[in-house]
Amino acid sequence: MGFNSFKRALWAYHLNTGSCNGCDIEILATLTPRYDVERFGIVLVGSPRHADVLLVTGPVARQMASRVKRVYEQVPDPKMVIVVGNCGIEGGVFHESYNLVGPVDQIIPVDVYVPGCPPRPEAIIEAVVKAWVKLEQAEKQGVT
Amino acid sequence: MTSLPFWNPVICIIAFVILIAIACLFRSRGQKKYKEGTAQTEIFLSGEEPPAVEQRHIKSHNIYWGFFQTLKEYYDPTVRAHTGIINDFIIWLIAIAALTAVILLIASLT
Repeated sequence: MGFNSFKRALWAYHLNTGSCNGCDIEILATLTPRYDVERFGIVLVGSPRHADVLLVTGPVARQMASRVKRVYEQVPDPKMVIVVGNCGIEGGVFHESYNLVGPVDQIIPVDVYVPGCPPRPEAIIEAVVKAWVKLEQAEKQGVT
Repeated sequence: MTSLPFWNPVICIIAFVILIAIACLFRSRGQKKYKEGTAQTEIFLSGEEPPAVEQRHIKSHNIYWGFFQTLKEYYDPTVRAHTGIINDFIIWLIAIAALTAVILLIASLT
């Protein structure tokens, strides 16, 4: 499938909802010279208002729930949400904690899941490409 | 003797118009899909709820931030001394008056 509908670079906003930082380090690894996703136009941005994709790590601590919702609402449509790591998918090592309201899909809709503790950078890149394909389809269908 | 700088208001106006046109061009190429009246048009404060519009301002105290930060070691003790309790101020007043009286007494004897 060619990327024709979504005619610009893919910008992603990274949100940590209580992660141990393992997944966050792997996300940053995708930007290092070994993987260098910026050459494909995949860029981490500093505001969800500039983003097309929300990269979420962590199991969603209670204090983060309202922030996660607000950040999600601030991303312009069409938008995709990628959960990176086991914690965001099913709680991971924190799943029995009293302080969690996650996983992420209990709070906001999720489009792509990347399992792993932490997942390898290749898996994160593949997830971003899948999100990009879904964005393409959403653009074609005129989803707003 | 210094030469006069070049000044031509017509050229300044033309330059201003060109700069405005460039700014409008950049702005027109920006994100157009924000939905008015939703969180998408709200300011981003790291996920925090943005304050009401009338509350969004930089306090004048912020202008002196560097000043206070540099002189923190001297400034903090004076802030602590200003408790706002009238008894503390009276004690300060009596102590300073007593100290002044002692100094004046010593000065008058010498």
